[in-house]
Amino acid sequence: MIPGKYRSVSGRAANNVNCGLHLVIQTSSLPEKSKVEFKLNKETPSFPGRLLQHDLERNYSSRQGDGRVISPSPRNKSSCISSTTNVTDLCGLEMKTTMSSLSAFGDSSFQTPSKSRTRQGCHSAGPNVSGDHINLASSSMPSFPILQRSSEEKILYSDRLTLERQKLTVCPIIDGEEHLRLLNFQHNFITRIQNISNLQRLIFLDLYDNQIEEISGLSTLRSLRVLLLGKNRIKKISNLENLKSLDVLDLHGNQITRIENVSHLCDLRVLNLARNLLSHVDNLNGLDSLTELNLRHNQITFVRDVDNLPSLQRLFLSFNNISTFESVCCLADSSSLSDITFDGNPIAQESWYKHTILQNMMQLRQLDMKRVTEEERRMASVVAKKEEEKKRESHKQSLLKEKKRLTINNVARKWDLQQHRTPNIATNQDTKVSDSPSQDPSQLHGSAVVSAFPEETGSLDSGLTSALQGLSVTDTHLVEVDGDTLSLYGSGALESLDRNWSVQTAGMVTTVSFTFIEFDEIVQVLPKLKMKFPNSLHLKFKETNLVMLQQFNALAQLRRVDQLTIDPQGNPVVNFTLWKYYVLFRLSHFSMQKINGTEVTQNDMIMAERLFGILAHVASSELPQYRLISILGDARKKQFRYLLETKGKKPGLVNEENNDSKRLVGENTNRATLNYTTRDFYNERLEEIKEKKKFCKMYMEDLVKEATDINMKNEALQKLWPQMFIELVRDAVIEIRNKNSYMKLCLQQITDQK
Amino acid sequence: MLSPERLALPDYEYLAQRHVLTYMEDAVCQLLENKEDISQYGIARFFTEYFNSVCQGTHILFREFSFIQATPHNRASFLRAFWRCFRTVGKNGDLLTMREYHCLLQLLCPDFPLELTQKAARIVLMDDAMDCLMSFSDFLFAFQIQFYYSEFLESVAAIYQDLLAGKNPNTVIVPTSSSGQHRQRPTLGEASMLEGVEASLFYQCLENLCDRHKYSCPPPALVKEVLSNVQRLTFYGFLVALSKHHGINQALGALPDKGDLMHDPAMDEELERL
Repeated sequence: MIPGKYRSVSGRAANNVNCGLHLVIQTSSLPEKSKVEFKLNKETPSFPGRLLQHDLERNYSSRQGDGRVISPSPRNKSSCISSTTNVTDLCGLEMKTTMSSLSAFGDSSFQTPSKSRTRQGCHSAGPNVSGDHINLASSSMPSFPILQRSSEEKILYSDRLTLERQKLTVCPIIDGEEHLRLLNFQHNFITRIQNISNLQRLIFLDLYDNQIEEISGLSTLRSLRVLLLGKNRIKKISNLENLKSLDVLDLHGNQITRIENVSHLCDLRVLNLARNLLSHVDNLNGLDSLTELNLRHNQITFVRDVDNLPSLQRLFLSFNNISTFESVCCLADSSSLSDITFDGNPIAQESWYKHTILQNMMQLRQLDMKRVTEEERRMASVVAKKEEEKKRESHKQSLLKEKKRLTINNVARKWDLQQHRTPNIATNQDTKVSDSPSQDPSQLHGSAVVSAFPEETGSLDSGLTSALQGLSVTDTHLVEVDGDTLSLYGSGALESLDRNWSVQTAGMVTTVSFTFIEFDEIVQVLPKLKMKFPNSLHLKFKETNLVMLQQFNALAQLRRVDQLTIDPQGNPVVNFTLWKYYVLFRLSHFSMQKINGTEVTQNDMIMAERLFGILAHVASSELPQYRLISILGDARKKQFRYLLETKGKKPGLVNEENNDSKRLVGENTNRATLNYTTRDFYNERLEEIKEKKKFCKMYMEDLVKEATDINMKNEALQKLWPQMFIELVRDAVIEIRNKNSYMKLCLQQITDQK
Repeated sequence: MLSPERLALPDYEYLAQRHVLTYMEDAVCQLLENKEDISQYGIARFFTEYFNSVCQGTHILFREFSFIQATPHNRASFLRAFWRCFRTVGKNGDLLTMREYHCLLQLLCPDFPLELTQKAARIVLMDDAMDCLMSFSDFLFAFQIQFYYSEFLESVAAIYQDLLAGKNPNTVIVPTSSSGQHRQRPTLGEASMLEGVEASLFYQCLENLCDRHKYSCPPPALVKEVLSNVQRLTFYGFLVALSKHHGINQALGALPDKGDLMHDPAMDEELERL
């Protein structure tokens, strides 16, 4: 059963006068016997009451036939209703493409070719009901004309009535047509729906292009399945409560500002709200069967609830005011949606539009009436992935920034605690907390920021909040490479020097900054620093507890230092008058260029030499050699021995090789004796020395005792010797006084021996 | 070689008193510490060098504090080394804080205790305003007294406190016949009214102390000279006077006179060469 206006879809579209609603209700072909002759009786004097009675009777009597018509469950397979609503909405330039796209569109709206064929059939079979066969009688009633058809017409089109272009201003009273299933009031001037409540079998009601201001008078039409109210003056969707079987509702071209009172229409499959005044889309709950929703030409800025439409396949949002994907993001959650249009929205102008849509709505088959190809989908996913990454990156960045700030704060807090524990070094700590963390993060805005946090970076992927919560107080250090600067916060950060740094990163780093780390701890990693970051030229120290001049000695072991920045914060040594000169003196082999940002002048160098040169001289020339050797590290011993060997030679003989080796090592030996051992290490050494001293003391005691004993004995001997000598001589003299007896005695002794 | 005292003491005590044992122990200790290096160039040579450096006073360079303060000779050597190395700082006219001087000391002796430097600074700065700047010579002479005579000064401080409190320390420490006289002299009212203690009484106590003190102390004659100029004096006044007395400086023998403090032609020559 097709209303006449749908016979030639393309023709109407070209005229752009109509909102086409393709309707195909496929039923078993109408039985011939139910054809009723329409009869128009001008003289019908009936009043509404009687008419109603009449209608009811008819209704009752023809129930049998009706049942047969409806019985094949039209909502399901037997009927196919589709709309080509957007035909009319195409305007301007788009009109040119209408013809081609239209056919495609039309095809696609039918699920199977067979149905399409059915439609064709319906077209041709559609009755062409014209006004010629109908007589409208101005009744005696004040304003309602009474309509009657001739009996042959009634027989011919027993279930349909078309009152197209009849210049009707009100609905006529339709008498004796209770079995009507299709009623057409297109193109009239009707302002109010009335006098049709008796047509309870009505399935199709077309009031397109009238002047209706309110939906009303439909409460009895329980069987109504197609209601066309396009191009009217309706401001509000209302009074549809009883139309539970409604299948198609066309409200395009009205003045509706919001979607409401439709949640009970669980059978509704097509809803057309194009060309209204909607500013947003929501309240779509309960429309469980809705497959097509037309919202073109509204002022919609955001869409909600679409994910509550389980059957929605086609959604037309062209020519609205949607500018971000976020405002329609619920679309991504709809699994059934396969066809969507966004053309004519600000969003469609964006470069990311297509990719984003396709990426977020994988189920989409058509976008803006063009089939989504695999290629596009792939592209979209690639681009979207990239964007996602970008987004994540920036998210990560901000996270990192925040994390960095917190970590630094935490490190600062810890540092302060630590410093309070050693009160003799504590200085202006109150300012530390507030100042230090705020000024550092600004360094982050570099090109290549590779931040490494002690915690695993994987957790950053989760949401910002959760990640921030994950920022525990256990973060005690921070390592950051920003361009050419390596920044270390907290003593734990020093461990990062053990890590495998890429050659490129390591090569790039020219500035190393230490904050909140004990200088003594830094000293221990300096050899590593020298190895891992061979190009580091600029050292920065802040809050590192530099308190003594000799601590600078430790820096001499580095390969090169061009610049040194010692922040007065947490480094009391900077308050000394001499510190700069000492640095220049001790690190003279680096020929430094800047200290704390100030250019080093020749005068500074001379001054440094004058102040400390003697120290170096004394240290090198007056130390006993064995001390020199032990003080200079193993590495320098070789060089030192070499120097010793060449010392004997005349200066002129010192060959070039020697000069080279000197230059290579660079550092003056006389300065090398000035080195720094960290406090802990030094104390350890003192302990060791103590042990050794103990042993030496005992050893010496024994030795000295022995020596004094011997000495004593010696002295005693010295005293006794003269007397002893005399006695010896006397004994000898007495023995040989009697020559004969002595000879006898000697002889006796010889014989005894034999 | 053999002084007459040598015969008065048993050998061991004599060696100990003359600190020979200290140096011998230290030499062995050093040998032990650097045995690999030393064995390479000869133990005899090591001992020669060691005792040569002891004689020259260069043995204390960069050594631990416990060794540096072990003998008067070491102390004097350290004072001299300090003066020689940082004379240029004074020559340059820089005024430094106590902490900075301490840092300079630590350049020569890494574990030099802050306490000693503080005490020396107190002599210059009179107790308060410890962060003030000091001239090199002021600090050096004060430091000399404090460092060289530190044990003696501690005893003096104890005596001074006792005197201030009205006790005569001599009665407690050494019960001699003279104690009776001392006790009568200072009346409590006088002592509390006037600042410090009476110089002559103070001297008597100090003389007594010098007699029995086993650590080095300034020559009593010079102390007498210092104390004879005034009627009463405070502890720090006494220290200042000691530190400014060039006789004591000469007796100590580590540093040149104040006037010549900035002169060290040999070193200047070396410096020029650098």
